[in-house]
Formats: sequence, C-alpha cells, structure tokens
Amino acid sequence: MKVLIVGAGQVGYFLCDRLSREGHEVTLIDHSEETIERAQNRLNVLGVTGNGASAETLEQAGIKDTDIFIAVTDFDEVNILACLLAREYQVPTRVARTRSIEYKDQRAVLSKEKLGIDLLINPEDAVAEEMVQIACSSGAFDVAAFAEGQVQFLGYRIDQESPLCDLTLMELGELRGIYRFVVVAIHRGEETIIPRGEDSIQAGDRIYLFAHQNDLPAIQYMLQTKKEEKRRHRRAFILGGSSIGRQIAQGLEGLQFEVKLIEKDEARCQKLAESLTKTVVLHTEGSDIQTLQDEGIGNADVFIAVTDKDETNILTCLLARQNGARRTLALVSKPELIGLASELGIDACISPRLAAASIILKFVRRGEIISVATIEGSNSEVLELEIKEGSGILNTALSDLHFPRGAIIGAIVRGQQYEIPTGDSRLQAGDRVVIFALPGSLNKVERFFE
Amino acid sequence: MNLTLTLRILGALLICLSGTLLLPLPFSLYYGDGAWSAFLLSALTCLVIGSLLFRFCKSRKDMSVREGFAIVTFGWSFFALFGSLPYLFSGAIPSPIDAIFETMSGFTTTGSTILTHIEGMPQSLLFWRALTHWLGGMGIIVLSLAILPMLGVGGMQLFKAEVPGPTTDRLKPRIQDTATMLWGVYLLLTAVETLMLMLGGMTFLDAICHAFATLATGGFSTRDASVAAYDSAYIDGVITLFMFLAGVNFTLHFQALRGRLRDFHRNEEFRCYLGITLFATLLLLVFNWNGGIYHSLGENLRYSLFQVTSILTTTGFGTADYEIWPVVTQYTLILLMFVGGCAGSTGGGIKVARILLLFKHAQVQIFRLIHPRAVRLVKLGNRPVDREVLQAILGFFALFVGIFVTASILMAACGMDLVSGGAAVLACLSNIGPGLGSVGPTDNFAHVPVVGKGILIFCMLMGRLELFTVLVLFLPSFWRK
Repeated sequence: MKVLIVGAGQVGYFLCDRLSREGHEVTLIDHSEETIERAQNRLNVLGVTGNGASAETLEQAGIKDTDIFIAVTDFDEVNILACLLAREYQVPTRVARTRSIEYKDQRAVLSKEKLGIDLLINPEDAVAEEMVQIACSSGAFDVAAFAEGQVQFLGYRIDQESPLCDLTLMELGELRGIYRFVVVAIHRGEETIIPRGEDSIQAGDRIYLFAHQNDLPAIQYMLQTKKEEKRRHRRAFILGGSSIGRQIAQGLEGLQFEVKLIEKDEARCQKLAESLTKTVVLHTEGSDIQTLQDEGIGNADVFIAVTDKDETNILTCLLARQNGARRTLALVSKPELIGLASELGIDACISPRLAAASIILKFVRRGEIISVATIEGSNSEVLELEIKEGSGILNTALSDLHFPRGAIIGAIVRGQQYEIPTGDSRLQAGDRVVIFALPGSLNKVERFFE
Repeated sequence: MNLTLTLRILGALLICLSGTLLLPLPFSLYYGDGAWSAFLLSALTCLVIGSLLFRFCKSRKDMSVREGFAIVTFGWSFFALFGSLPYLFSGAIPSPIDAIFETMSGFTTTGSTILTHIEGMPQSLLFWRALTHWLGGMGIIVLSLAILPMLGVGGMQLFKAEVPGPTTDRLKPRIQDTATMLWGVYLLLTAVETLMLMLGGMTFLDAICHAFATLATGGFSTRDASVAAYDSAYIDGVITLFMFLAGVNFTLHFQALRGRLRDFHRNEEFRCYLGITLFATLLLLVFNWNGGIYHSLGENLRYSLFQVTSILTTTGFGTADYEIWPVVTQYTLILLMFVGGCAGSTGGGIKVARILLLFKHAQVQIFRLIHPRAVRLVKLGNRPVDREVLQAILGFFALFVGIFVTASILMAACGMDLVSGGAAVLACLSNIGPGLGSVGPTDNFAHVPVVGKGILIFCMLMGRLELFTVLVLFLPSFWRK
C-alpha cells in the first residue's frame, strides 16, 4: 500500500519507521529539509520537502495513487487542511492529528465527517486513556484488551520475591490447571524472546501474558508479591496539571480512586479545581516531598508523573517510589529515555508518540487485522485476526502447520468460547486469534493466514 | 446622588400606585361595604402628589447606581406610606403607625398584622391588603432578578455561577422583557391557585386574596384563624403546594413552562431547598408524634408539612398553633425562619443559596486545615463561586445577625419579653409574619409599643431589600455629590 505521511515529528517519524518496515511504500512530507534528509538516511522512505497543506507539494509526493493519508504535523489547521485536500484527491483513508477538542466534541460544528477525516487522533487523549488503564490494573505495566475485552494482554515485571521467579515454562504449565494463562514473551535486557518449555523466568524479567478477563483476579493474586490489603478506595497521585493530567484525574475519579493532583502554577490550579469535582488539587512542586508525605504519598497505590519534562517525570517517580508509592508511571516523550526509565524501576513509561502511533497503526491496518497493540520499549506487536473461510489452515492441528517463528498464538476465541492454544488445537473459520509477533515476523504472520 | 431625579421617578411610581388603588373599587361596590370613597380619595391623593413630583422635578442626568438604591428603598417606603391611606380614610385602622405597619407588612410580603378582628373589616380593604402582598411580590421578583444584580447586591449574582452559558444568564437581554415574562409566570400561578381554591369551596374574594398572599409568600388571610378557619385538607394541600412553588426561583418556573423541567433537578439550590423541606417535615413528624400531639400519621403530616412550608418560604399562614407543639419542634421552626426561600423567589430570609454557600465555605476552610497546599473552590452546581460573592454572603450573614441582635435588644427595651421580642424581630426581618410568644400564630402585633412597631417596620424594609440596599443610604458618602 502507498502511505503518505505529512509531518516528520515524533509521531510521523515513528509511523514511517513502522510502516516502512512492514513493507509499505511510505512517502514523508515535511517543511524542514534537514528533517527529511535525516529521515531518508535512516529509514526506507521517500522524502519530500514542502508544505503539507499545499496541493503542489502533495501532487509531487504522489497523492493521486495514495491509499492512506496521515497528517501529523504540530498544527491542527495544517493537518485538517491537508486532509481536506486529500479528500479532493480521493484518497480512501485519511487520518489527522488534532489537539483542539473543538473538532472532537460530539456537538462540534465541524465534525470529522464534514472535514473529510476518517480518524481524528489526539496524542494527549491517547496517553491519558492508557495511563488510566494501567493505573487500574494492579501490578501490570502494560495492558491491552482484545476480542471485545474478553482476552487481556498484560505485562508484568518479575522481581526477586515473585513466586514465578526461576520457574521454567514447563513447570508453569503445570499450574495452568488452576491459572489459565499463556506466557507469550519474556523481555530480558535488550532482548525479547518467545519462550519455549525449557526457558525459565528470572528476576528482572518483564513477562507478557494472555489471559481471559474472568481469570484476571486469580492471576493477579498469584503474581502479587506482598499481600496487599484490600482497600475500597485506591489512592492516586498525579503530578502535572496539563490537559493530560486533568483527563487522567477525571478518568480515575470515575473509577472511585482518591485522586490528588499536583500542579505548580497557581492559576492553573484554580482552573483545575473548577473542572474537577472530587480531586484534591495541590499547589506545590513535585519535589516538595514534605507536602507529598503529609498528603499520604506513603500509601499511594499509584504515582503518575505527566509534566512536560521527561527528566522531571522520571526523577519524581523515583522520589515517589522511595517514599513508598507502590507503583509509578511516567510520561516519557524522548524515545531514548524510555529504556532508561524502565531500567530505573519505574513501572511503566508511556509516550504520547507511541500511544498515538499505535492507534493510527490499528486504524490503517483495519480490515483483516481487527486490533493491534504496540509494546513499549520493543517493536513487538500484538494483533487480533479473524480466520477466513477457505483458508488453507482450517481443521489442521497447529503442530502440523508451519507457524512462523518469532510469533505465537496466545488465544483462540470462538464466539463466547475461549481456548488456550496447544499443539492439538484446530482453527475454524470465524475464529478470532490473538497473536504476539516479534518485529519482522508480522509479514510472515499475515501471509500465514492468507 | 441626584435627588430631583429620584423624586421624579418616585412621582411616577406614585401615579402607578394610584391606579392600583382603584382595583378594590368593584369589590367595594359589589359588597356595598362603603369603603369606595376612601379608595377614590387615596387614589386622588397619590395622583396629585405623584404628578406634582413628576412635573416639577426634572433632571437631564442619567440614572446611576446611587439613584437606584435610593429609588428602591424610598419606593418601598412611599408605597407603605401612601398605601396606608385607604385604611386611614375609611377609619378601619385609626392609628397612622398601625396603618403604615400593616401596609409595610403587605408590600414587603411579611404578613404580620396589627388587626385584632380581621373578619370585621370591609371586604374591599381585605382585598387591598392582599393586593399589597401581590404587588410587593411582583416588585420583589423584578427587583431580585433584574434590578439588584445591576446594583451589585443580592443573591442573583449566584445565578451567573448557576446557569451555564452567556445567553441563559438572563432570560432575555432587556430588563423589561425579563420582568414581563416572570410576571407572566407569577400571574399564571396566581390564577391557577385561585381557581383551585374556589374548587375547594372558597368564595372568589377569599380565593384570590389567599392566592395573592401565597404567591407573594405574604401570609395575610381574610380570616382571624388564618387558613385553619377552612379546616379542609384539600385547601391545606393546595396552599402548601403553592407556598412551596412560590419559594422557588421564578426563572426555574419559567424554564419549566418552556419544557425544561430538568432545570429543577440541575439547580443545586432547589435540591437543597427540597431537602430542607423534607428533612424538617420529617423532624416535625417525629417530634410531634413523640409529643403526642396528633394521633394519626395523616393528620400529623398535613399540619407538619404545612407549617414547615409556611415558615420556610416565609409565608406565615397558620393551620395549627405551633406554640402548643413541643419546644424542640418550635426550635426547628425558628431555625427555618433564618433560612427562607430560594434566591429569586418571593420568599424572604437569608435565602437557601446563602446558607448553602456559607456551609460550603466553612467546609472548605476545614478542608484546608488538613491540606494546607490544596486549592479548593466553593462551587454551586459545579460552577465556582466568585470570592467577592462569598465575601458579600459572609457580610450579609454578619449584618443579618447583627441587626437581629440589635433590634431584639431594642424590643426588649420597649418592654417586650425575651421570646416575643426576638421572634417579632426575626419574623419581620425574614418577612415571615407570625413569631412566637405574644406575637405567635394565634396572636397579632397590635399590642407592640409604638417605638417597637417603628423598629419592626424598618426591619421588614431592610429584610425585604437584602439589607445592603437600605443600609447603603446611611453612608455619608452616599449623599455627597
């Protein structure tokens, strides 16, 4: 497919990387020659310098036979105008990023339909949504839902005291009678592997597993290291009262969290106090540990740092952890820092870039692939596929098929039934499968199911 | 302050008053009570004085805030003064201070009376008495929803916080239009109540007089025993309902008539008002049952609910002598006297919104003790309330209590006993009507000493005009050019 991306910012650059790796023909437009130069040197894309909202530049970039148009510059107006132009050129799929809620609101005068946009994406919303999701699932640092929420994909960090420590997958398999789940990947150091029976889980690993929604409480019980007392209200601290912070606070308020929001600007605090009903808005710095202790950071279930500075977020997360916050989540925009942050013991690092990109990826790939999630810090992906009628793989035991290396089927969903795949499992038309794939094997997986 | 301009407008108001003085004439002629000449004479007096003021006081200057305060305060005073003429001319109330007391009580929708035998009055005067209520109520609606906000006083600043969006802030951009619409609602409710009361067996005169007194939350009845004279559960029910409605902000009624019933639910003050009514009724039910006053639950509910609504909305009708109720019940009623109706209703008192915000403010203060760095705002209906509005409310509360205490001491100095003196002041300051002790629901204010009556008249005026409007006239700088 031909993809045209306008804007080589963080989101644009990341999308170029991913889509070109998957074998799409990607053209990138940016106004800065230098950026284009750099992208062309590092990625397998065609670069065009110019204004993404000008028809001339778009034609030069070959908009006429483009299949997917993605406008992700920093300016809402440019993105919207570019999409309007793309509609005139009859591009089938148009995606734009906008920050202003004016276009997203249900009652908006200019709806996305009127603007000719198929998907409007706001990175801040995406981040807030993801943060809320992770904050809710106790213990997991990465969460995604598949098959209408039936199948959950979870990432857990394994420490020394974890009951899973030093168990091989084989031994774990014996537990499966009680706990129904599949470990699909182990991330150790810089490497992600798909474990075989003899591989063991070690302290410091991050493991990824699939489980049915109903089995989650049991699994969380198994994975918990210390007996956590059950509380009716979980406590959350949020640092940074930007629109992300406010949205997270609103989301957590709705989930019966006791939320405290820290913001250093007083005028902004007033605004926040106006729009939030139950959240306690604190006017102080994130490093004012005395106040945080008085407000009970020692009992916090989760500390979420979402200021606009990566460094502040990482450092305050460490500080909060030292002072007793059980889990810490940080907003990290710079890709270089994401790996570092998880190394330091921060439970999850969310980047707006990844959050937005994974939504866009999910959208542009729709069709056969129902749903897809991107794993933080590695380029692995999880995708959900529907098995087509007449596919060559029907009614054959999985062990007899040559399923591509570097990928693993984590769950088979048949209507309301859910099955953990084994070598004897047979696929039927209409089944939905959830697959974990290492980078590079995505194409093979897609070909396998064709 | 521009005195000539003020007098000119007061003149115009007097001319209007002379028109309304003719309204009781048909009743006078129909019942043949002989009071027609008193009304004609009063109307003529008002017309002459009004025309003279209007003709000879001319000013090219525009009206400012100061004239606004003066016109409102003196307007109400002039009405009380000239509205008392029919009582004097007909000889029904011979003493001028009594006549002024009665009229002031009417125009401020208080309902305290100095009449010892109401049923002996000429019918047309009874109508006039109820009419003063109704006109006063009309004045209050437009005053509290349109004029006072312009002067920067009163509970209506709260509405800026309550109603979202710039357009619904006022119902219509022009005061005239706002007033006309709200009066339409007022008139409609009055007509409906009159009709419903007539269905309950009242004569037209009784029905319209009670409807006037209900909608204005006044409380003048045409009977000595007030509403109790009819001893009808139906009439009690109808009056309870309309008293409750009269204690609600009239903009809500207007929105409801346009089909926006959800506004009632969305309005936090209304929810609080409803909550207070129900909770107080429950308390009364328990206390009265405990005191063994009523034997059946239905009877208990009928009288308790009526009395709660009557006191809370500051109407002051009576169906039961609450002085024979247990002390704890009376105490509950006294607390209700402070609260009053909703802002923007015809009810008096401190107003539900102010009480609500006062408590919310206190709550935030306590909260800040444990969370010193927390930023928390006082909100009404999810909208933050301006700090200035809060300060005005604190000031209002302090003034209300201060005036209540001072006036109570003065009443005691006049020779009133502790309970009666205090209750009389509270009943007048909150524009309720009956108090406790010697001014209780079955008594009247006739025996209050002349100085005491003067103080109460002033209390009624201050309470009705939200204190600040009257007190600002006592600032020396107000009168300077």
